[in-house]
Amino acid sequence: MKEQDTSAGCLTCTYFHLTEKMTPQAGCSAAETLTQEEEHQMQRMMAKRSKIIRELIQTEKDYLNDLELCIREVVQPLRNKQIDRLDVDSLFSNIESVHQISAKLLSLLEEATTDVEPAMQVIGEVFLQIKGPLEDIYKIYCYHHDEAHSILESYEKEEELKQHLSLCIQSLKGKPNLLDMGSLMIKPIQRVMKYPLLLCELCGSTPPSHPDRGALEEAFAAVKGINVNINEFKRRKDLVPRVEPAAKDCGKGRHRQVKDNTFNREEKLFRSLEKTVRHCVKNISFCLQNIQDAMPLALQSVMELQEISCSKDEEERGSLGAPGNAPNPCDDFVAHLQKLVLTPLSALLSLFPGPQKLIQKRYDKLLDYNSYLQQEAGDESNLAKKEYEALNAQLVEELQVFNQAARKILSNCLCSFITLLRDLMLVAQQLYSTVQPGPLLVSNISEIQNQVLEEFQNLNFVKDNSATFIERKLSFEKKKYVQILPEVPRQTDTHRAKLLSTYSTEELYQAKRKCNATQENDINLLEGELVAVMEQKDPLGSTSRWLVDTGIMKGYVYSSFLKPYNPAKVQKVDAENRLCDDDFDNISLFVSSRPSSDSVTGTPEGSISDSSSSLSGTFGKFEANGTDVDSFQEVDEQKCSSTLAKGIAGCHLALSMVVVDPDKTDGWIFYAVHAFQARSDHELSLQEYQRVHILRFCDLSGNKEWWLAEAQGQKGYVPANYLGKMTYA
Amino acid sequence: MSKSAVKISLDLLSNPLCEQDQDFLNMVTALDTAMKRMDAFNQEKVNQIQKTVIEPLKKFGSVFPSLNMAVKRREQALQDYRRLQAKVEKYEEKEKTGPVLAKLHQAREELRPVRDDFEAKNKQLLDEMPRFYNSRLDYFQPSFESLIRAQVVYYSEMHKIFGDLTQQLDQPGPPDEQRERENEAKLSELRALSIVADD
Repeated sequence: MKEQDTSAGCLTCTYFHLTEKMTPQAGCSAAETLTQEEEHQMQRMMAKRSKIIRELIQTEKDYLNDLELCIREVVQPLRNKQIDRLDVDSLFSNIESVHQISAKLLSLLEEATTDVEPAMQVIGEVFLQIKGPLEDIYKIYCYHHDEAHSILESYEKEEELKQHLSLCIQSLKGKPNLLDMGSLMIKPIQRVMKYPLLLCELCGSTPPSHPDRGALEEAFAAVKGINVNINEFKRRKDLVPRVEPAAKDCGKGRHRQVKDNTFNREEKLFRSLEKTVRHCVKNISFCLQNIQDAMPLALQSVMELQEISCSKDEEERGSLGAPGNAPNPCDDFVAHLQKLVLTPLSALLSLFPGPQKLIQKRYDKLLDYNSYLQQEAGDESNLAKKEYEALNAQLVEELQVFNQAARKILSNCLCSFITLLRDLMLVAQQLYSTVQPGPLLVSNISEIQNQVLEEFQNLNFVKDNSATFIERKLSFEKKKYVQILPEVPRQTDTHRAKLLSTYSTEELYQAKRKCNATQENDINLLEGELVAVMEQKDPLGSTSRWLVDTGIMKGYVYSSFLKPYNPAKVQKVDAENRLCDDDFDNISLFVSSRPSSDSVTGTPEGSISDSSSSLSGTFGKFEANGTDVDSFQEVDEQKCSSTLAKGIAGCHLALSMVVVDPDKTDGWIFYAVHAFQARSDHELSLQEYQRVHILRFCDLSGNKEWWLAEAQGQKGYVPANYLGKMTYA
Repeated sequence: MSKSAVKISLDLLSNPLCEQDQDFLNMVTALDTAMKRMDAFNQEKVNQIQKTVIEPLKKFGSVFPSLNMAVKRREQALQDYRRLQAKVEKYEEKEKTGPVLAKLHQAREELRPVRDDFEAKNKQLLDEMPRFYNSRLDYFQPSFESLIRAQVVYYSEMHKIFGDLTQQLDQPGPPDEQRERENEAKLSELRALSIVADD
């Protein structure tokens, strides 16, 4: 309690705190007291609840102990003694079951309460779980109890039996509430009636917010219902007063309260047969359904397999007679099943209700009869007796027949079912066998298939295009030339650097595209590779083949594959041709003096441009596509070899130097790639894309970085690298 | 299907009838054993098929993306080729002036590598695709065989099991018609019972 108090106190503190924050000062106190009260209420309820639960468990325990004692000390010894006229079972009927269910209930209750937070304990569920068996067992016990009680009384009248009984009682060691048999026997009744009371109380003291509340309400209703049923049952019995000792004397023998064991047995058999047949019908139908679903698919697969094997082998398979009757096995099976199994069983099932009603009628008659028994033998009593007995006899006799017949039908049907299944399996097996009669080594499958898969890997398109390869290819982008010509050692930076340093820029050329060696002493070049021309003729004197040094090796290449090297700018291959036709007008440019407007095709490493940045000349950015320039060389070739020589000579252009004939500056229109702000009078401001006319390609001091430009009547110097060759769009 | 069959036998087994009738109990126990074995075999069959058919199928299917990619690339190469080809033709149609000729040559130069590339791709695919397709035969045949075999084995086992069962339960084994007649007879007998006719 102390804990509860402090916790309550804490809770209220929290509430206080919260409410203080939430509500304005004025209404604060009112809110406080309310929640405090609620809290107290809650606490009280929870306390009461745990008390009731404790009581419930404790009483159940005690009850269980009593039952145990009773069984051990009374029931079993009496049974063992096998006293002639003492029918223990009629006294105690199913007390063992009662004991069992009580033990179960107790364990469930304990489970629900140990190590579980009081706020989380759910007792209602326990009762709901157990209510079915509880009802059944207690019903039986209660049903027999009254009878038992009267039997007991009759026993008590007999001296001998009485002694036996008191002997047993004494062995109970005089527990206060176990003074006599009667009180022993009535215990279960009392207990089952206690449950509703307990649950009701518990329910009442469970706050609505508790999870158990709903379950408890349900459980309470259920347990109350149980009691009602039991009472109902008993009420029927109550029509029958205690049996007079005289009844026993008038020779009904052991049939005291009109019990017909034969009948009971038959009835039990009847019931279980009914249940069996019911289940069978249900399950077999279900099974049939599944088979019906599965079989067509199996058939289809067989047919398709046959087709496949047909087309593969390209033979006429005579056994293709199978498709003709392929659909039939399943239908056959279904039809047979219906005929042999389901129909009889269903018919049988439909026959059950009739007898069931009669059985019920018999019960009623029995009750009637029994109710008359206590009265004097009169007409009514006789009538009732006759009715009952007639019905009983009829039922007993015919139920036996019924049961037997039903049993036979059932076993027949089951056997048929099994046979049908067997045949179905055979058919299926045969079907599948027709497709591929060949034997097979299962272990080889994976080998064969892996082999095939490996072969796939060898296929080029798999190699090139499979996901893993794609990734690698992307990373190889820069080195794709390696893949194309793996045998040619790639020109590395070091080679290029070496070339650059060894040779002057005049001698440096670049491969326009991939050159394949055709003659001896030729070398292969990849696009963009840098070469230094050592000699502009070959051993035979032809000037179309030049001796070049790639840094790796020396050899000959056709000069047409080479273009002068322009390290000024690394340009992407531009599909657009920015040098259009008009530039051809100044072809003289290209014959005599070439602005080395080559763009670098291919992908030279960044290092090249870095190392050659110092060489970057007075030339600005030319948008010219290298290929255009290349074609000019083509043009050269087409002219004649003499002009070729000249043209080639003209190709010897220092990249950083432009040998420009000043006389031919008329055509030098450039545009400003970037805007340029003049910082002094000498300089000329440029707007982006502004056209300027270049007067001179160097300034007064000869600095090639500044050109003299004219625009809109103004002259001034502009930085060379801001300028691009004009293209007439 | 095997699951529902097992359920049949389970329900039967749990039925109180078994307690009362020893024969019935035996029959049902035997049935139950048979059904359980059926279930086990079925599971085994399923596993087997999974291993030898389903998984190889998946693996085979995984090659197709590469193939698609290769075809796509060829397609792209074809486009490039066509484009450049058209350009070349365009230049060829023009009057043969110097610049035009220059452009023509240049275009032809461009065309050459692209055409080569396309042809290479084309040839490669033409060569390899048939190989790929043809290999499917070798690849799948074992799978199919395995499938068939698994089924055959399964069904023959089942047949045996049920055959044994019928032997065990039903030595005389009356043929179907007889059973049917018997059933009918019993049913009519039942119907004749007064207790059934009532109500």
